[in-house]
Amino acid sequence: MQRRTFIKTLSYLGVVSALPFLSAQSFAAPSKAISVDDLPELTGELTLYLGRGEGGLYEDVLNAIKKRNPNFTLRIRRGPTAALANTIMAEAKAGVRQADLFWAVDSGAIGQIVGAGLAQKLPNDLTEQLQSEFRFNDWAPISGRIRTLPYNPTRVTADKVPDDIMALPDSDLSIAWAPAYASFQSFITAMRILEGDDATTKWLKAMNKKAKKYAGELGVVMAVERGEVDVGLANHYYTLRLKSGKPDANLDLAFTKNDAGCLVNASGILALKQSKTATDFMRYLLSKEVQTYLSGEAYEIPLAGQLPPPSGIPSLTEISPPAIDLTKLADLRPTLVLMRNAGVL
Amino acid sequence: MKLGSKNIQKLLTSLVLIAGFTAFQTVANGDVGEHVNHLSDNIKKYEEEVNWLTSKVDGIVTTYQKSGAKAAHPEALMEHWEAVDFHAAIETNYVLIYASIWQGLYAVKGSIDEKSSIADVKAEEAKLNKALWQALGAVKMAAKYQDAGLLAQVKTTEEAPKNSIEALVVIDEKIHSVVAKYAEQLIDTATTMVHDTYLNLFEGVEGELIAIDANLVEDLEKDFNVTLPLAIKNNKSVDEVRDIVTAMSTKLSKAKMLLENKEKNKKDVF
Repeated sequence: MQRRTFIKTLSYLGVVSALPFLSAQSFAAPSKAISVDDLPELTGELTLYLGRGEGGLYEDVLNAIKKRNPNFTLRIRRGPTAALANTIMAEAKAGVRQADLFWAVDSGAIGQIVGAGLAQKLPNDLTEQLQSEFRFNDWAPISGRIRTLPYNPTRVTADKVPDDIMALPDSDLSIAWAPAYASFQSFITAMRILEGDDATTKWLKAMNKKAKKYAGELGVVMAVERGEVDVGLANHYYTLRLKSGKPDANLDLAFTKNDAGCLVNASGILALKQSKTATDFMRYLLSKEVQTYLSGEAYEIPLAGQLPPPSGIPSLTEISPPAIDLTKLADLRPTLVLMRNAGVL
Repeated sequence: MKLGSKNIQKLLTSLVLIAGFTAFQTVANGDVGEHVNHLSDNIKKYEEEVNWLTSKVDGIVTTYQKSGAKAAHPEALMEHWEAVDFHAAIETNYVLIYASIWQGLYAVKGSIDEKSSIADVKAEEAKLNKALWQALGAVKMAAKYQDAGLLAQVKTTEEAPKNSIEALVVIDEKIHSVVAKYAEQLIDTATTMVHDTYLNLFEGVEGELIAIDANLVEDLEKDFNVTLPLAIKNNKSVDEVRDIVTAMSTKLSKAKMLLENKEKNKKDVF
């Protein structure tokens, strides 16, 4: 029998937390989450480039910050994360910096800006609020999402879901995936970094022979729930959201161990100009209230302080994500070339 | 035109009821022209254009009756339509009728190409004329809204919706534009619009929506990925494609209502 690493969600969570094979990783305890009540008032003006995502939840956060700080003006430019990253690069090349801050929905776009040396260094007391795996000199992750294997328990038992992502194509399971989806491509980038291009190409080709393709990862999770396939590849929150709208959904979550299949990716923010207001603005995003809000409303994983994950997902100490520098996920071009060569895109 | 408060109230009510009135940000057929932001100043010109168009259509039909399909040059119908400013005025303000005009143009052309009886051709001409005059009426009403400051300026660049509710409004506009493009027989454009609307807009909404009503999301997923693209691919009639879009529009309205209710009950960040 395959050694399994699964966490059944929701009702089983309490049991799973006690299981011995779910050993804690190196997520050292961050400092306690700071309440907005203890943060300085924001004054002056900032321009934020905001990557699209999470419906209006980021907007809710920004509106709340504005309302709380009447002497603060926030100008926002909205757009797809990748497009805004390219704009920032182009503006820098032209010798102008329009944005003070860049809030991106994925760390790959952050990595692009950091790699170009455009991000400002952050103070230690800010980064220390984050869990140790998520401390970076020049950007702050805001909230996380875990790569998972959603499966249909009426079609497959948990012990049949491999805990090794590289073994998935060799299993007897029918699989759903969304290779055109940005999160999937970040996951393949992580696989390239961890396993190498040859192994990743082999994996993609094997998967391509048996996996059913969907446009997005919510579609993947819905296909699993409908029983079109046994298992899928998707970010964790799609399963939690579907279970919220359909509590009796035939859906559970499995996790691989120490590989790209369990990658914890993050949205994040960076400052393009050195400014106290910009730094303080970031502190608001890492506050207990904002972290709790994003967790409760968007099912994202809080990364600052010692806050619990959304209901239905294990804490980061209970899973085994790979050790990987998230900013390296910016290197998307070779991933796309590799996927095209493998006939996946 | 000066509007009393009662009239403004009526217009506001109508604006809610007539969901088709929306300020489109871009149109597919080249430059929109600044005239669309000054509808009242251009109503006379639009009226002249509609008269000119109906006379051109009638000329083509009369030639067909006298000299046959080849002499009628029915392909000129589209050229005449694309030549007038009224084209952009209706596309930016009421895409539902815009689609009907294209449907009518192709119906007249098709009936001539197929050498249908003159009675059938005239029946299609009558439907086209009706759509053109309806369109003029719609633009006149839009002009009133515009004068009352109730229509947003037509923009040449798109702004990203700020939240799922705004995104649903844009999605509804886009799928009605799909009918228009399909009626224009721009099949690839229509297919791409369905795909892009799903991936760039609906995909961002459904994650939030599924937590409220999973079955509704499932229905719309099928509409976007199977029902609508398949109808286009299989060359279904414009009316059949419109029926699918109308059904989707109803589901989108329900989705909007659900999200608005959720918004009311949403807890504060701080």
